[in-house]
Formats: sequence, C-alpha cells, structure tokens
Amino acid sequence: MFNRLRSAVIEAVSGLEATNGTVENGHHNKSNLAPKFPYGRPHFLGLGDDEVQMSADHKLRPIIHPSKPLPHNTGYAECVNAGKSRWNEDQAVYRQGVLSKIIPTEQGNVQKFSIPYTYYGIFDGHAGVGAALCASYQLHHIIHEKLVDAQDDIWINITEKHSPTTKPRDLLIIGALESAFREMDQLLLEDRNKYQAAGGCTALVALFILGKLYVANAGDSRAIICREQNFFPMSMDFTPENERDRIRRLAQEQPALLGKEFTCHEYLEQPKSSDLGKTVMFRDAYMKGWAYKTLQLDDLKVSIITGHGKRSRVMGTIGVTRGFGDHDLTAVYQKLPIKPFLSSHPEVQVYSLSDAIENEVLLMGTDGLWDVLDGSKAAEIVSKSLNEFEDKKYVSAATCLVGFARGSLNNSLRSLSNTWQLKEGKMASCDDISVFVIPLLPYKLEYENFIKKCEVKEYGESAMDVSEC
Amino acid sequence: MSYAYLFKYIIIGDTGVGKSCLLLQFTDKRFQPVHDLTIGVEFGARMITIDSKQIKLQIWDTAGQEAFRSITRSYYRGAAGALLVYDITRRETFNHLTTWLDDARQHSNSNMVIMLIGNKSDLESRREVKKEEGEAFAREHGLVFMETSAKTAANVEEAFINTAKEIYEKIQEGVFDINNEANGIKIGPQHSPTNPSLPGAASSGGSQMSNCC
Repeated sequence: MFNRLRSAVIEAVSGLEATNGTVENGHHNKSNLAPKFPYGRPHFLGLGDDEVQMSADHKLRPIIHPSKPLPHNTGYAECVNAGKSRWNEDQAVYRQGVLSKIIPTEQGNVQKFSIPYTYYGIFDGHAGVGAALCASYQLHHIIHEKLVDAQDDIWINITEKHSPTTKPRDLLIIGALESAFREMDQLLLEDRNKYQAAGGCTALVALFILGKLYVANAGDSRAIICREQNFFPMSMDFTPENERDRIRRLAQEQPALLGKEFTCHEYLEQPKSSDLGKTVMFRDAYMKGWAYKTLQLDDLKVSIITGHGKRSRVMGTIGVTRGFGDHDLTAVYQKLPIKPFLSSHPEVQVYSLSDAIENEVLLMGTDGLWDVLDGSKAAEIVSKSLNEFEDKKYVSAATCLVGFARGSLNNSLRSLSNTWQLKEGKMASCDDISVFVIPLLPYKLEYENFIKKCEVKEYGESAMDVSEC
Repeated sequence: MSYAYLFKYIIIGDTGVGKSCLLLQFTDKRFQPVHDLTIGVEFGARMITIDSKQIKLQIWDTAGQEAFRSITRSYYRGAAGALLVYDITRRETFNHLTTWLDDARQHSNSNMVIMLIGNKSDLESRREVKKEEGEAFAREHGLVFMETSAKTAANVEEAFINTAKEIYEKIQEGVFDINNEANGIKIGPQHSPTNPSLPGAASSGGSQMSNCC
C-alpha cells in the first residue's frame, strides 16, 4: 500500500493517468503527450502540493472543504474514491462574472450597467482526470463568451418587456449554455492529438443570473433544490438506460455504427445460440412495448445497451451517455467507436428565485453521492445541518452529505480491505464524491437590488455621469 | 524538501480548546485569537529535526464538535501520534478526556503515541483544572503530558517535538513497523529501499489499484 501511494505520487509527477476498468482509452498511444492542465484539486480549496497528496489517501478519504468562504457562504465538500483510481477524478469550479452594457444618454454621456452572474460547475471524470480538468478550467470562459454574444438582447429584455426583435431571455441564456457545452466538447476533440488522452467527464452547471437559476446537465451528476423538508429535481440522469430511446433510434438510423457485433434490438435476455428457432420477447428501436419473434442467427448480436440502472452500459463499455470528451473511446472488445452515441448536449432547467426562502438551497452532487442516497434523504441531511449549525452551515451541510455517503471503514484496524459502509451497514459509496450546497435567497436579494438600482437610474437624475448599475 | 521520515499526527479534543490555534502556532508561529470553527479536518505540515534527521510532521487538525465526531473517528487510522487537547479553564473539556481516549484507542493503531495537552496555560486566573490533575490523568493512562499556551507559544514546540521524539525512539526500538503505512510513518524518498527514479513519460499507466466497486 505504501508503495502504491508512492507510485501514485511518481506517476502524478510524470503526468500519467489511471484508466479504470469500465472505460479504456482508445487505441492511440498518446502517453508521450503532456497533460493540458496539471492535476490539482478545485482552485477554491487552496490546497498545496502536500495537501493534494493527503487528500488522495484512499484509506482515510479525508473530506475536504474550502479554507476560505465561497460567495454567500456556499458550501462545498469532497472526498476521494476508495481506490478505484489514483486521483479524485471529480473537479469543481465557481466563478463570478459580469455582463456590461454601455448606453449613450441623450445628454451625450454614457451610462454603464453591469449584470452580475455566478457560475458553479462539477465535472465527474472517467478514464483519467484530463477532460474534467479541461472543463473546470475552460467551460466558464466559453459560457462567458456566449453570454457576451447575447448580452445586448438580454439587455433589451430588461428595458423592454416584450420586444419583437429578440427572443425571451430564458431562451438566450439556455442557448448560451447549450452552445457552450457543444464548444467545450469540440475543444476536447481538437486537443486530443495535442495533449494527453483526456478521457471524458460529465458536466453539471448552475448559473445564477437576473433572478433566475439555470441548471445545465450532461451526465449522471444530479442537482436538486431542497426547500424545507422537501426537494425537487433540477436535472435528470443521462444513463444508457434513461437514454435508451435516443441511442437505439440513432443506431437504427445509422446501422453502420453498430458494426457486425451489435444490434439496436432489445431482448428480454441476451439470446444464446442454443435458443435459435425458439420464440423470444424483443422490442425494436421505435417500440415502447414488447413483442415476440423467432430467434434467428442475426439476433445473436449484442444489444447496444445492456444492463440496468447503474450497471447499464453502451456497447458494454460506458455507463454515462452525455458529457465531454471520450472522442477516442471504443467498445472494450469490439473496438467500435462509441462517441457517436454520446452527446454533449445539456438539458437546461430554469428556476425562478422570486419565491426563494431562507435555507432553500441548490444541491449539486456527483454520482458518488447519489449512488447511496436519494433526494429525500439528502434533503433531510441538509435541513438537519442547516438547523443544527449556525456558523458555516452550508459547508457543514456539504460535509455531512459527503460524510454520510462515504460512510466509514467497517474494521478500523485489522482489515486493510476497502469496505466502506454506511451507518446501517450497507455498502457506502466508493466513488469520488463532490457536493455543492448553494443558498438561493442571496441571489434573489442580489437581483432585487439590481432592479432597484436600474429603476433609480431610469427615473433619477444620476444619468449625467458615467454611472454604474 | 526531502525528509528521513514523515509522521502523521492527529489533534483531537473538545471544540474550542485551541486545537487549530496550537497547529497555527506550531506551523506559522502566530496566534489568531478568533479562529474559525474547524469542520471535518484541516491540514498542516512542518519539518523538524531529531537526532540530526529531518522529519516531516503531517498534522490532521480535526473538528471538536459532536456533529462531526463520526467523521473525525475515521481519521485516527494511520496516525503515529495524537495530541489530545483540553482547556485548563473549562473543566468539562477535561471531563471528556476519557471519551476521547476511548475513541482514539479504539480507532487508532495500538502504538500511537498520545500526548495529553492542557492548553491556555496563559489564563492562570481562570484555571479550573490543576496541573496535577492533568499529570495524574496522563500517568494513569500512559500518556505524555504538557501544559501549553497557543497564545504565548509556551511549550507548543515542545509538545509537537516531544511527541515526535517518542515516535522516533519507538522506531529505533523496533516497536513500529515502518514499512506498514498504517502506522502513520513513511520513510522519506532518499531513505526508501525501493526508490525508483521518476519514470519516463512513456511507461504504461496501468492501474495497480484494486477495484472496489
């Protein structure tokens, strides 16, 4: 174990990345390329090199939280996996930005308005840390560019309620997020021969702007809003099982993608050659229900999607169907490219903050959290923490969530095996776990202040100077 | 920087006894009168010299709050030394020592060196726990004892360094198996028997890690 840790350090220095069992890097040998970004933990944790090493201790799995407060005391906590990969392949980021608008006044002066926004993102990497690192370094820049492209029209939306010349603000912001996600994926595609193979990652992003929350999700991280004891989802999980229809239809339209080995048909059970001639239950790509057919040789191909729930896979290889990267990913045995079946397109959900209340939070977590608890348990932990702690309550809530999902080692001394258990004895999560707990009320108040200032500008006399809103 | 050994420490004790302040005084040589509540764990590190050998102390500063107790427990494992801290001006923090000690003994390795620390010795006028009581408790439970002040820095160096000396002696006596990382001791890079030079970037990144899921 000691050697294992040391070799982890050495390999980190040389920039090598671990591959994990379910997803392999493609056939290109890119190990002589340098990583685009050095491995590290999220910028806001402020960890030094030593602390990055300590944070990756698979036997202790320390729960790390920010050393300095995040905006509005937002909570964050993370811990490393129990040994499935050397490094924590999750990444997280937050940024605060401003969209500016300069309007000439009739007096010949200019008036400057600033629209603030706050961005949070979590990225769950697989087959290495590269893609998640790139997303954590770059996606917010791309989103900012897209928002800047749209800012004039976003501005019209503020000054004129129903402008015929532009689209509703929600659609402009959703569009900025959607196009940014696509561009991020393109960037990884362009980089793939310049930098070390990056693997892939999921992306879950929250954007607070103009009194609304936009949650964009591509992958199986999950966001929920916790309001008092209740919760409601702000994202859906994009797993092979949930995306069955999209993937099977694509396969049916482009059968070449399936090679000789796969089929878009789905069978109740994987047919065996001994079943030839028998009647089996099946459904085609366009079917919701099930029908019967006589099993023929062609039916012995493997379904493009196999398994259920967390264990469902595309081409027996990958368990998540949206995100960034994986451009070189091929099926484990058949070596067919998988990327055509994956999508970088996010689903964006919008939530108005006008009714936000004290202690209402957005909870964002990677699947390491959600593997072992559901929304109602999460809401219960959040609500308990927010009531119990006065100081640093959002960080405490995040820490308690990660602490719950990580559990504890079942045998503190004798056993060196990595069996992490929840309190009630069930298996705990052995994946990387990252959690944001973001209070919503401050963003409502921020927006109300913004509107107030704009109204002062509109009716006041301050327009004589260069003034800021 | 290279070191002969790395020792892992953990600091435990009730909330508000000055654990984080002791660490800050030791690592940064400064005192912060109002310290943020520690959540979960925070890290510190410093190099010391014992027997003309460089020893790196890696220190895990834990939360004293009851709510984080189960998380704190998970950090005992793999610690070579523990500083068990109480506040000499608050008797209840002294009364809770047995609980902390039980916890530590149960979740750590049996060779862990435990240093009992009565902190805030600068507040003599508000003292509620006599020095003799601390000494007696330490004697009874086989601990090393010291009163410190994170504010004036009195005995802070000594507390951390004496613990390290104690661990170092145990290594010399062969009590610690230094090749077992679970003991909280790591041999420095230059002393390592198997010290592979950094591999060229071309070697395969094949994972040695067990796959638990």
